[in-house]
Amino acid sequence: MKHVFGKFAVLASAALLLGACAQTTGTTGDGRMKLDYWVFFSGGDLSYMEAIVDDYNNSQDEVYIDMILQDWDDYYTKVVTSVAADRGPDIAVSHAATLPQLMNQGLLEPVEPIMAESEFDFGLFPDNIREAVEVEGAAYAVPIDTHPFILYINNDLAEEAGLLDEDGSLKLDESPQGFKAFFQQAKEALPDKTPLSISTGGVDVYRWWWTVYFQMGGTPIFSDDLREPEITLDREIAIEAATYIHSFFGDVIPMHIGDFYETFQAGNAVGLMTGVWATGIWEGSDMNFTAVPLPQSFEVEAAQGDSHTLIIPIKEEQTAERQQAIAEFIAYVSDRGADWAKAGHIPARTDVVASPEFQQQPFRSEYAEVASKVVFTDKTIYQNPAETDMVRALDEIMSNRLSPEEGIDQMLDALRVTTRQ
Amino acid sequence: MKKLTWRDDLRPVPFLIAFFVAYVLFTVYPIFKGMQMSLFNWTLIEQQDFVGLAHYANLLKDPNFWEAFGNTTLFVVLSTPTMVILALVLALMANLNTKLKTFFRGSFFLPSILSVSVISFVAIFMLQPYTGVVNNILQAFGLDKEPFWLATPSLAWVSIIAVTLWWTVGFNMILYLTALQGIPDELYEAAEVDGATRQQMFWRITLPQLLPISRLIFLLQILASFKVFAQILLITDGGPGTSTRPIILYIYEMGFERYDLGYAAAMSYLLFMVLLVLSVIQLRLGGKEGRLL
Repeated sequence: MKHVFGKFAVLASAALLLGACAQTTGTTGDGRMKLDYWVFFSGGDLSYMEAIVDDYNNSQDEVYIDMILQDWDDYYTKVVTSVAADRGPDIAVSHAATLPQLMNQGLLEPVEPIMAESEFDFGLFPDNIREAVEVEGAAYAVPIDTHPFILYINNDLAEEAGLLDEDGSLKLDESPQGFKAFFQQAKEALPDKTPLSISTGGVDVYRWWWTVYFQMGGTPIFSDDLREPEITLDREIAIEAATYIHSFFGDVIPMHIGDFYETFQAGNAVGLMTGVWATGIWEGSDMNFTAVPLPQSFEVEAAQGDSHTLIIPIKEEQTAERQQAIAEFIAYVSDRGADWAKAGHIPARTDVVASPEFQQQPFRSEYAEVASKVVFTDKTIYQNPAETDMVRALDEIMSNRLSPEEGIDQMLDALRVTTRQ
Repeated sequence: MKKLTWRDDLRPVPFLIAFFVAYVLFTVYPIFKGMQMSLFNWTLIEQQDFVGLAHYANLLKDPNFWEAFGNTTLFVVLSTPTMVILALVLALMANLNTKLKTFFRGSFFLPSILSVSVISFVAIFMLQPYTGVVNNILQAFGLDKEPFWLATPSLAWVSIIAVTLWWTVGFNMILYLTALQGIPDELYEAAEVDGATRQQMFWRITLPQLLPISRLIFLLQILASFKVFAQILLITDGGPGTSTRPIILYIYEMGFERYDLGYAAAMSYLLFMVLLVLSVIQLRLGGKEGRLL
């Protein structure tokens, strides 16, 4: 008798556990096919994607896209674990830089065979973006944008400091000294304002360093090998780029600004550098600003950037019908590139860039040319941890704890540990 | 007669079995699973090849591991004594028979109920340069500099320890307060009859009576401090550079950012061994027959 009771308890607790893990059925209450769509967008971007998804859901009554916002900090960890547990999303956003890592984990399907069903044309992408989503010869995602690192200027303050021409364009000489002199003039003219707002550490300095390093003619960080890359970073140019950037800190950039977006947004900074996504945020405020590409100060045309892409994570029991719906939704988002560009991004497709809907939007059409100059990351599974290593080493340099030489050597050491060399 | 005892002994079993199942499933099983993981190359997706003790061997050569381990040890050494002594002082204050008693108890314990994300964001907000309240107060008192609390390694440690202290000391205080109230009044009455001063009462009665609970608090605090993680992740993310990265953050990075669960598990086991040894030493040293209380 007791034995039976014991068994019952085991069964009951097991049932409880299984009940808690029950899968979503894949359909909504009113019988529409439900597709889970994971995104990590925040602030500005999110509302534009929401609008696109809402429009899609209202445009037909067969498929319902359930857009789920995941926290950015451990987004990829969640994608990997959920797909591993066969509870992943049907569609998800990924950065192009992370595709090799996800592909190597066995999470992704090549998208071209799936997209072929909705007659999607991969020829619409420029070469560098098309290559950015290819891993070992196959495309693993559909890019929806390019988002380069650019410069924002507060027009009112710039005018006050005499940094604008009569026609309102920046009096900015495209040379290393010219770029710095621009902000030095701002500093002298407006001593109680921040000439250039950017964090001393963190990913934005890394983006800036990346731009300068490649503009100076730097070689790729890694050799072209997915799993066993060699470190091909040019130490001398890396040091030179870090030295150049370091000379701004404590001079025209205050050390360790708490919130560098806020500083600019409150009208206390003449310039700011970050990704294009800030455009959409500030258009919503009444700030008078300009968004321009980072000046071409050195010999080589290059810019830092990445691309938001849509991936189709592997699911064990995905039906052809659902795959068809997935492909149609992805094609829809891709077609709506001009609406997505309202966030500030540059559409991935050349036909969308050429469209009047996009060309009529302020700033974007001016910085859209940067998309073709973006140097994407190397195809290695170590890209994300390597980025952390590089961010940390640059942090040490910019905050004066290490000299540029020591900092870059530390970066190289960390990259060797990360790539197990 | 004998059979009846046997049946009596079995009576609680059905009530315990649900807990036992959960305990085996969520505590015992993961312990052995983790041990198995540490012997394999293991990603989040799949178990790969058996590598034996290679992860442990690599650990010993990994400078990042030793740095992180050193950081954690530093935190333990700095935070544990302050955490115990301050808790005692606060408990003594909260035990005074004044009108402020309730206020003390409430205000000392209140931070403990906040979540780690809340206290971390408050800390970042208060400690940031130029606009943070801490620097503004210091400058109002004539400080002529802009201290970068979270961007200077030594100051970052001071900040983390101060925040942790403020956040968690209330729990230890409650333990002390309970123990203080458990000291029999007769002891003090007898001491008063014998003409002892308040100081003598404290050193001869209060402190010895608190010794057992102090040992417990000390042990719990060391274990808790070795596991420091969330507030550092949120406040400095191990920075500047890696100078405040504790061992658990490194384990987290290896496991959930680089998907190297085997290596992360090996590190966890090394930490587990250290904590086990520390606990055993403390239990041996403490109290009669190895008892804590």
